[in-house]
Amino acid sequence: MNTEQNLKKAEWLLTSWNKETTHPEPNRLDFLISAVDLRRAVTTLHDAQWGYLSAITGLDLGVESGQLEVLYHFCNGPAITSLKVHLPRTGDASLPTIEDIIPSATFFERELSETVGVQITGAKSMDRLFIPDDWPEGVYPMRADFKIEQAAPVEGRYVDEIPEEGIVRGNTFVVPIGPQHPALKEPGHFEFTVDGEVVTAARMRLGYAHRGIEKAAESRNWIQNLYLFERVCGICSHVHTMAYALGVEKLAQVEVPMRAQAIRQIVAGLERIHSHLLWLGVAAHEAGFDTLFMYSWRDRETVMNLLEQITGNRVNYSANVLGGVKCDIGLEQVKVIKQGLDFLEVRIRHYLEVVTTDAMFLNRTRGVGTISYAEAERFGLLGPTARASGLVRDIRVEAPYGSYTRFPISAVTATNGDLEARCEVRLSELLVTCFAIRTLMDNLPEGPLTVKMPRKIPVGETISRVEAPRGELFYYIKSAGGEYPARIHVRTPSLCNWVSVLEKAVGRQLADVPMLIAGMDPCFSCNDRVVTVKHFSGQKTWSWKQLREYGIEYYKR
Amino acid sequence: MNILPSLISVLIFPAGLTLIFSGMFYEWIDRKLVARFQNRVGPRWFQPFADMVKLFAKEQITPRLANPFLFFGLPVLAMAGALTSALYVPLMGLQPAHSFPGDLIVTIYLLSLLTMCIGLAGWNTSGRFSLVGATRALTQMFAYEAPFLLALLGPALAAGSWQISEVNRYAQTHWIVITQPVGFIVALIGLMGKLELPPFDSPEAETEIVAGALTEYSGRGLAIFKIGKSIELIVGITLVSAFYLGGLNGILPFLLKTIVVLVLMTMLQTLLTRLRIDQTVGLWWRFGTILVLTQIMLIIFLRSYPL
Repeated sequence: MNTEQNLKKAEWLLTSWNKETTHPEPNRLDFLISAVDLRRAVTTLHDAQWGYLSAITGLDLGVESGQLEVLYHFCNGPAITSLKVHLPRTGDASLPTIEDIIPSATFFERELSETVGVQITGAKSMDRLFIPDDWPEGVYPMRADFKIEQAAPVEGRYVDEIPEEGIVRGNTFVVPIGPQHPALKEPGHFEFTVDGEVVTAARMRLGYAHRGIEKAAESRNWIQNLYLFERVCGICSHVHTMAYALGVEKLAQVEVPMRAQAIRQIVAGLERIHSHLLWLGVAAHEAGFDTLFMYSWRDRETVMNLLEQITGNRVNYSANVLGGVKCDIGLEQVKVIKQGLDFLEVRIRHYLEVVTTDAMFLNRTRGVGTISYAEAERFGLLGPTARASGLVRDIRVEAPYGSYTRFPISAVTATNGDLEARCEVRLSELLVTCFAIRTLMDNLPEGPLTVKMPRKIPVGETISRVEAPRGELFYYIKSAGGEYPARIHVRTPSLCNWVSVLEKAVGRQLADVPMLIAGMDPCFSCNDRVVTVKHFSGQKTWSWKQLREYGIEYYKR
Repeated sequence: MNILPSLISVLIFPAGLTLIFSGMFYEWIDRKLVARFQNRVGPRWFQPFADMVKLFAKEQITPRLANPFLFFGLPVLAMAGALTSALYVPLMGLQPAHSFPGDLIVTIYLLSLLTMCIGLAGWNTSGRFSLVGATRALTQMFAYEAPFLLALLGPALAAGSWQISEVNRYAQTHWIVITQPVGFIVALIGLMGKLELPPFDSPEAETEIVAGALTEYSGRGLAIFKIGKSIELIVGITLVSAFYLGGLNGILPFLLKTIVVLVLMTMLQTLLTRLRIDQTVGLWWRFGTILVLTQIMLIIFLRSYPL
């Protein structure tokens, strides 16, 4: 079925509740429905297996309009259906939960209620997931009339968790993992209730690395935002700028030159190699196989050097600019990259052999955290985690963008769905990526690197999806026609994959938990981009001016 | 004036200071080799010593819920156990400082004192990670203790004596590793379990339970535990190489044979992935114990009915 037919089918499915259809993009239909019909509409789409819930975006349409808008984005290949619900800004802004229909929605809903202030009724848990414990009640950072002064920390929301008499109640007690813990390379907090060695309950809390990037984006112009979104993630910085740039270029109706598209893809490919090798090291370390950890990180240096060779940077590459790329790849560099790939391919093949044959490592991965195809679909998993269960969730294949339209690639899948399969998928995928990079370099089109971009982006909204190393990266970009974006919403792949950890940890041994967390390749800083104001002393909120002065003073020394 | 030689033998040579420093030296060889195998640079030769100096200079924090007497006493007891066990083994290839029939059993149980103390220390500090770590340490002890003891009994049975010096003398004329290879492997791996080295480091698996039973320890307490461990390393290696690798009858054979055992251990550490605690217990009881029991049966049988 092609995109056109898919959208027709969605329209037909939703006829009974649809009040107004809009067509913001060629591959997307918006259906206005009322809040009371939401659950039925979602159930219909879900039962008809029309795609998967990709994100929930909340927007404040402004004080004058007095309305909030909530968009439930369902993706089916390149076709996107958005269920649009309008809610009043003041008074009863509430929506029924859909987490019982689609489990992964729980994180989207919690984000929605914390940032935009839509109350979710009927949800199992509405504990704070992202915003800090001392954030005042009833203050929502993504509202249009939010002022930084409102966010002054409140006292008394902290609960001291350790009672005087000790921590063991009966046979069970809670093992906290994080925010600071050797298993986690980034801050997150998990509470695993254990009975002896067996996990009986799991809970999580995010938001320790909040930087308020989505809010910050509203006060920066289109070009500044490119560099802001590069900082969402330190591992996959390039795909974030790529998703953003592709979206803005789509809005501005600018066609990026072929050569720039190819170079973007090459950098993205190298970044995927870097990310997966990093992941392999972390996973091996969690399993207690430090030798593999050391070796894979040694080899990661090769690909980091290649990226430095192309872009001049090792972490935030800044390869993209709006309308093209900043750096060219010359003949000399093609040679160097090919040499690097020769080495990497040999190593990747070796690691693939290690993770599939080393008996001791297999002890810790084979049959651990198995997710079946049906479960993967129900949890709404993305990226390699889903592909390890045989579920093809790969934007490069489902909805090709950029150079993937010229040089299609095949999705790598496995069937077992356990940790071994996830190792296998990630490493086999790298071999495909190496091949794709070679193909692109052999067929590098001639031409300019950039085209001119307008300063002001025309009114409109767009959804930009690219495949990050961890899965589908989702950007919702809305322009009001000015130099500044009206709203940018980011949904990173890690957020969708959390459900798998929490569900699969229960009943397993404590020793498997770090492996399970690592198995989905979590990226906390990606998750935690939403909105907060960090306070340093715990007592006062710093204004922008104060922060600036602090920074200047700090670096004078 | 025959108290002086005893004092020297306890405090300076071969036990006491010499033992502590050689323990640190062996720990350095272990760390350096593992690092080189893993493509890292590894520590400089004085690093274990520098670690100890640093730890001794640091503040020791006593957890609120811990019994302070036990908290300070357990590391001392653990190190005392390890130091005492050194008196009965042929360190540096010399005759053991003390010897009596049946000292093999005493030595093995003195060596276990360290693990017991670590378990108790974890229970005493009642931190969450310490509790899990202590449970694992003690569970693991029940797993490897029996096969390790049986593996050392093999040579003792062959020598016809449960006195370490006697077995050592017997071993100088018989390379037991050739006649009892299974026992050697079990003893070697059992020693790694005793020392909580990878792959048997689940009691202190940092990615799950931070530092296990010793999570709450800092400063002197931690330093003393660490010293106890490095002494146990050298005593354990001495015991295994004396029993299986043709005995120890001089400083040169001692260095050569113990370092061979250490290198074997570092190789295993590098190559193997950490086992979960249930896998550790399963491995020892399903394979280790049964293999070594079979071998002991054979020895007893052959000694009663020589071919």
